[in-house]
Amino acid sequence: MNENMPIDPEKVEPVKSIGVPMPLVDGPEKVSGKANYTADFVEKDALVGRILRSPVSHAEILSIEIAAAEALPGVVAVVTGEDFVGQFGVLPIARTEWPIARDRVRYRGEPIAAVAAVEVETAQKALDLIEFEYEELPAYFTAEDAMAEGVTPLHEKRPNNVERHVEYDLGEVDKGFEDAALIREGTYDCAEVCQVQTEPHAAIAAYDGERDQITVHASTQVPYYVHLMLEQTLGMPRSKIRVIKPHIGGGFGSRTECLHVELVAGALARKCKGTVRITLSREETFITHRGRPEQKTTLKMGMSKDGRITAVDTTTTQRGGAYAGYGTVTILYSGSMVFALYDIRNARYNGYRVLTNTPPCGAFRGHGTVNVRFAFESLMDDMATELGLDPFEVRRKNLLEAPTFTANDLMVNSYGLPECLDIVEKASDWKKRKGKMEPFRGLGIACSHYVSGASKPVNWTGEPHATVNIKLDFDGSLTILTGAPEIGQGSSTILTQCVAEVLGLDVTRIRIVTSDSLVTPKDNGAYSSRVTYMVGNAAIDAATNLKTILTEAAARKMDVQPEDVECLGEVYRAGSQDQGMTFEEVVYAALEGTGTITARGNFDTIPESWGGDKYRGAAIGGSMAFSYAAQVVEIAIDPDTADIHVEKVWVAHDCGKALNPLSVEGQIEGSVWMGMGQAMTEETRYHNGLGITGNMLDYRVPTIIESPPIETHIVESNDPHGPFGAKEAGEASLAGFLPALTNAIADALDIRVSELPTTPDRLMEIMEDKKRESRKSEKEKAGA
Amino acid sequence: MELMPDFDLHRPTDVEEAVRLRAETEGALYVAGGTDMIVNVRRGIEQPAALIDLSSVKELQEIVEDDDGLHIGAAVTLEILAGDTRVQESFTAVAEAATAVAGPTHQSYGTVGGNLCLDTRCLFYNQSEWWRKSNDYCMKERGDICHVAPGGKRCFAAFSGDVAPAALVHKAEVDLVSATGRRRVSLADIYRNDGMNHLAIEPGELLAVLHLPKAESGQPSTYEKARVRGSIDFPLAGAAVWLNQSGDKIEELRIALTAVNPYPHLVKNLDKFSGVKLDDNVLNEIAEMVQSQAKPMRTTTVKPWYRRRVVGAIARRLTAKLSQAS
Repeated sequence: MNENMPIDPEKVEPVKSIGVPMPLVDGPEKVSGKANYTADFVEKDALVGRILRSPVSHAEILSIEIAAAEALPGVVAVVTGEDFVGQFGVLPIARTEWPIARDRVRYRGEPIAAVAAVEVETAQKALDLIEFEYEELPAYFTAEDAMAEGVTPLHEKRPNNVERHVEYDLGEVDKGFEDAALIREGTYDCAEVCQVQTEPHAAIAAYDGERDQITVHASTQVPYYVHLMLEQTLGMPRSKIRVIKPHIGGGFGSRTECLHVELVAGALARKCKGTVRITLSREETFITHRGRPEQKTTLKMGMSKDGRITAVDTTTTQRGGAYAGYGTVTILYSGSMVFALYDIRNARYNGYRVLTNTPPCGAFRGHGTVNVRFAFESLMDDMATELGLDPFEVRRKNLLEAPTFTANDLMVNSYGLPECLDIVEKASDWKKRKGKMEPFRGLGIACSHYVSGASKPVNWTGEPHATVNIKLDFDGSLTILTGAPEIGQGSSTILTQCVAEVLGLDVTRIRIVTSDSLVTPKDNGAYSSRVTYMVGNAAIDAATNLKTILTEAAARKMDVQPEDVECLGEVYRAGSQDQGMTFEEVVYAALEGTGTITARGNFDTIPESWGGDKYRGAAIGGSMAFSYAAQVVEIAIDPDTADIHVEKVWVAHDCGKALNPLSVEGQIEGSVWMGMGQAMTEETRYHNGLGITGNMLDYRVPTIIESPPIETHIVESNDPHGPFGAKEAGEASLAGFLPALTNAIADALDIRVSELPTTPDRLMEIMEDKKRESRKSEKEKAGA
Repeated sequence: MELMPDFDLHRPTDVEEAVRLRAETEGALYVAGGTDMIVNVRRGIEQPAALIDLSSVKELQEIVEDDDGLHIGAAVTLEILAGDTRVQESFTAVAEAATAVAGPTHQSYGTVGGNLCLDTRCLFYNQSEWWRKSNDYCMKERGDICHVAPGGKRCFAAFSGDVAPAALVHKAEVDLVSATGRRRVSLADIYRNDGMNHLAIEPGELLAVLHLPKAESGQPSTYEKARVRGSIDFPLAGAAVWLNQSGDKIEELRIALTAVNPYPHLVKNLDKFSGVKLDDNVLNEIAEMVQSQAKPMRTTTVKPWYRRRVVGAIARRLTAKLSQAS
């Protein structure tokens, strides 16, 4: 609003921001190319850092000779594992990784030394001068091989290379199977996949030798964890460290833990008392990995005649890579999230996270849930078909009734899945079309869900889950200060909208500063879809506290009680006849005596949502709210080439409340699309542990040509604890695509695909097998 | 993104100067669009001391039409080639092939000559320097072994250009220019069955012009390639088909394949179908013949048997399509 215009209080009303589709607040910088990403901060005196990587998969390090590299003119520093004082890792119980390998290398591409030099050519020459002597050890590239009898352990504490075995047995599983009319078992294989976010990893570290301080710019989803790991590995006091997260080109979980690059840059900068910039190539970004593991799931399910699930028994094994990373959490999620989508009373689970000589896996969008959901929804569909039941009806037979606690004590307060099912059933014209498609065409349905932040944080400190500050000063502009990392998911926009809504102000009055440890409050980071739910609630709290301050100031000026003051955003007044005070006038009144105002808001999860203690690790999966999605996929298959064309996707997502429908729609489309990549084309492959698909030609992310029309529907179940009723919007719609696709293939070809991705060669092989089988059985029939 | 080596850049304005520079300059390579070659340079596969940039050579940018046919300069971009109505109408497969190369941005830089002279490709070759070194290199570049067929003595890297098979079915010819003169040869003659050394072109010779003879332009032709994604991907298998029919009988059938051999393969023995009525059985026989001459190896992530299988299916489908169209 123009500050010079006289205000007519009759016409003033609070500005609506929530539920309004609006472009992202950081959009202009990004679309105009002005936004600075980590690699864009090129300081004049910055040195170039490069990392030397292990050429072998598993070996004892005998020596790393760096003298010749150090002697090369232009080389300022060379570091090895000896330059660090501690290991890193996201889980306090599993900090097993050195920023640069010490004593042993465990996968091809693991850093073994790094160089800072005046220019990149010199840095590369220096790397070539480093002599690496090693003694090779047996290497394991599959979970099966790594767990075999008599193996050489990758880590001393894990003699059989099982990083973590998780088990639970809840309800009466055996009785559940006894009660079943139909019991079926299937095995499902998912290939390893990588996030392939737009921006490769990068870090810039600047060391101030006078003050022994370090500033690190990092392309990370978790600047706070980077801060902690810099402290831990460099042995510097945390008060001397500053971490800044600039604009980020996507994360999807690839940067949900601190990576080598930030720590190596830090060590180099300190050693040369200067600034070091490291930008990883795409291949190095693939090697850094932290993607979704290769996973084999054997699932046994019991079902009553009418489609009710009576028991579930899941055994799943993940090829985790050489280090723990988030692995324990991944294998726990795979188990805990068997629940909370359907009403399941009896379930058994055995999950194995296995250490192998491949790059470490991590927390890929839909963390831990996707591959098990693929198995579950596939088997459920096959059993429905066998029982002569419609896939929708089987899912409806197993719905939860919220509010409730699941058999593993997950708290479910809002549950829009029934509506999601209704919507996609109708939108896809399922009832009329299912089973009546033309040859080589099919329809498939699947459901999926996800958490809105983990109720127990990885690093338990006793602080609130989220803190937001709002600064208000003489100019009447508001600045949100938050540690919540905007990584392209739109968190800055959502927080701005939350604050704007509470105060009834237009979003243009508000600016936001994110993720600079010097300025912004600490935040755990952008992962497990926690930001909208947790930081959104903290932003609402902060704005509410600010509103109280402003209302009290206005009351003092107008000489009325605060409860008599009406906040109309740009005007505060006492009664509808009152001329009122402009927002600026209220701000001046509020600053009297106190000066600049900082209002703080917090959010904490409630203990009931922590997941209980029914088995070891049961806290993983505990969340204040679960989001839900259902999707129908329609496909056409080319019989000559076995190419699958996705004709259309109908998806409905229960996000509680769409704070910004435009952004929610984008998140749903992105999830569907990413699920499509995993389902159809994406796969990291290794040749003796050497990543053979570490580029964007051989690792096939779908292109816009493959992108199907996606019809998104938003379901609003209004979660009682969510910010304005909101839940997560960016993950749940991913997992459903995989089984919806293979269920559609089953509809089209009467073939169950249980191995992903369904590349044309894989599908054609299965089609051929089926043809051969049916020819054989015809012959047998004829013979009989 | 890996390092570019230090190199001298030459920008000649005519063909004679280009070939002279190439002959005089040690370690020089020609560069046109660079969409494939620069990637190899960054990966350390090529380390040229000098690049001779052909983008300012006017003769190479032109498409000339005369009584003999179309004469296409080697530096004409794939985008221009695909958009040329004369090519679209008279040499349809060639226009379709140009449109099938990688994605639109590559087509706007990539050239006819570059696509015809494309280096052969293999999963174990098109990797970074660190990768190849960690894998002991391979016989195509610095090493002794073949990772595709260990123990073998031959290189099976696959020729993966799209334009060549399309031009082959139109009996295309090319001009090769060197410091000692110019010669015109059949396009088929510039290739050989050797993944390490698939171009039968003398060192320093420049492929200057692609001739598409008018005599071959009257019949319908078409091109299709199998790939996992609808854009960006090199062909897993590709086929161009040219068909001359009288009534429902085949007069002459030509099929050329790409990505299933170290060179673009003009399918042999198709003359046995001359005078034969084109029905389903004959189409199956054609597919079988195509498959039997395709020899894909494990040079991509997609299984060789599939590529063999699908190249037959594509040839069959395209033949049927042309037959119905005429």
